Amino acid sequence: MNFFKIIAKRSVLPGLLLLISFNSIKAQSGQQIFQQNCQTCHNLDKDGTGPHLRGVEERGPWAESRQNLHKWVHNPGAFIPTTPYTQELHKTFGQIMPSFPQLSDADIDAIFDWIKNAPAPGAAKPTGEGATATEGEGTSNRNALIFGIISLILAIVALILMQVNSNLKKLSDDKESILRPEPVPFWRNKIYIALFAIILFIVGGYYVGKGAIGLGRQQGYQPTQPIYFSHKVHAGINQINCLYCHNSAFEGKHAGIPTLNICMNCHKSINAYEKGPKIYDENKNEIDGTAEIKKLYSYAGFTPGPGANWDPANAKSPEWIKIHNLPDHVYFNHSQHTKVGNVQCQTCHGNIQQMDKVQQMAELSMGWCINCHRETKVNFNYNDSSGNKYYSIYEKFHNDIKSGKMDSVTVKDIGGLECQKCHY
Amino acid sequence: MKKFAIAAGFLAISFGFIGCGGAHGDDPGHSYMPDMYYSRAYESYGYNNVGGERDSLKARGIFYNAMPVPGTVARGEEMSNHLTNDSAGLAASNAIKSPLDSTTFSPANMKEAQRVYLVNCAICHGEKLDGNGPLWNGGNGPFPAAPRNLMDDYTKKLSDGHIFWVITNGIRTMGSYASQIHPEQRWAIIKYIRSKQGGSAPAATDSASATAAKPSGATAQKDTTKAK
Repeated sequence: MNFFKIIAKRSVLPGLLLLISFNSIKAQSGQQIFQQNCQTCHNLDKDGTGPHLRGVEERGPWAESRQNLHKWVHNPGAFIPTTPYTQELHKTFGQIMPSFPQLSDADIDAIFDWIKNAPAPGAAKPTGEGATATEGEGTSNRNALIFGIISLILAIVALILMQVNSNLKKLSDDKESILRPEPVPFWRNKIYIALFAIILFIVGGYYVGKGAIGLGRQQGYQPTQPIYFSHKVHAGINQINCLYCHNSAFEGKHAGIPTLNICMNCHKSINAYEKGPKIYDENKNEIDGTAEIKKLYSYAGFTPGPGANWDPANAKSPEWIKIHNLPDHVYFNHSQHTKVGNVQCQTCHGNIQQMDKVQQMAELSMGWCINCHRETKVNFNYNDSSGNKYYSIYEKFHNDIKSGKMDSVTVKDIGGLECQKCHY
Repeated sequence: MKKFAIAAGFLAISFGFIGCGGAHGDDPGHSYMPDMYYSRAYESYGYNNVGGERDSLKARGIFYNAMPVPGTVARGEEMSNHLTNDSAGLAASNAIKSPLDSTTFSPANMKEAQRVYLVNCAICHGEKLDGNGPLWNGGNGPFPAAPRNLMDDYTKKLSDGHIFWVITNGIRTMGSYASQIHPEQRWAIIKYIRSKQGGSAPAATDSASATAAKPSGATAQKDTTKAK
């Protein structure tokens, strides 16, 4: 008898442990089954292709018994006509969930047990990014002001000392009764006037020159767009490639403003800004990302909701303000630079992925273009795909002439017979 | 007096120049001869609403949305396969074969296919095709639905034509990529996915078994979905 008691006592703890671990294994596998089969369409807290699943067992026929859920998962099509709740569901979402006959009742129980106990989404961590951005600018402005005041005070002190000096000199001269001509006051002193004129000419000339050169250049232009579209959130935090939206930058002259269907590819599902850091505009006012997405919906003519479809015919385009503008007499082709020249977007546009509100970084002046063209080396490495094949023919001519295969290069060889050379 | 006028004139011009330069915030700055900078002619993405013209076009029922004219084929593009954007089109897509099957696919082509995949698909389906791109990020990203793991058995069994249809028209929460990815690029992406999944594209017989292997009604029951 004692023996059994000991056995019983000893097995209580491991048994308990086993039970607990079994439970957690079950929960784990419930999560796994959910991830493998369900989460493509179902989110716990948001309606997607299918309804959200948190608290699903308090709704409709699912509140009655797990049996209904088993039947539903095994064959939703057959279940729909049996209850008004599911008929309504079918109407709102417009699709029928695929059936999962391969899931056993235990699997389905595991999924719904996991859903019941799934942790609620953590509140988005607010990070203080962006608040420090303008601080550096402020201190440098303050420094300039302090230096200005100090030099002004020093100049006044110097002036007073000079006046005192000349007065003392006059006094001593009077005492010794030396007659000197009346001293010229400094504002009529020709040296002072000349000095002042030269300084005015240099400083004024600098600003006038700067202003004249800056005419027609828009470096620093940072207009307010119809929607506060943060490149930092899209290209920076969410790592969306530039070409995902500006796809014609690789193939065409223009980088292109993405059409609304590209926005809606993601934003049909992403209808709130929750998980990213807070966004601030240049006046440190917080930007409500969700409200900005709503603006997109009003342009797109889309009403979010379960099973909502978007009809592009309802869309009207937001009137984005063009920032990077070249005069009409300049031909610029994006694909020549991105595809052929392998130039990164950031080379000309700055660190767009860190900008909430896009600002023109480069001056886009002719000198700026020319300078880059002077310094950038052409990649002749045409044998591997990284190189620029356009110039490979010149390298070939060079080698052929060297080896005596050719004695000269005719216009024909460099494309002189192409129609467009003359007829364009 | 005349001297004074000349000096004043100089000063005024100088201040004018100083005041003109520099753009910041909403102010684009100034330019001489603005017609050269801001074209009166229509420019792409430019000032296409001069005099409310677009609104008047819309009032007359002319809606310009930059879509190609129906029934036209762009230069250099293969002929349309006329798959409709509904469940019937999806079912018919299984019979479509990749035009790349009959051509050789060089490593350079594969590299380009990878580039297009990484730009357009990897954001959701992941660089490793594991369905865990930055927008999903194991459930921590902003996207509410899990992207398909392209390495799983389900995708391996899908026919090339089915994937082509999905890229073209979108499915469930995935949108259409018809405007961003050329048809031949779509086939190249499929080639890339197949190469990552291991082995070459499944033979034509596979597409028939793929429809059979799907859980009953996985796609056939998607009846009223793509109402457009």
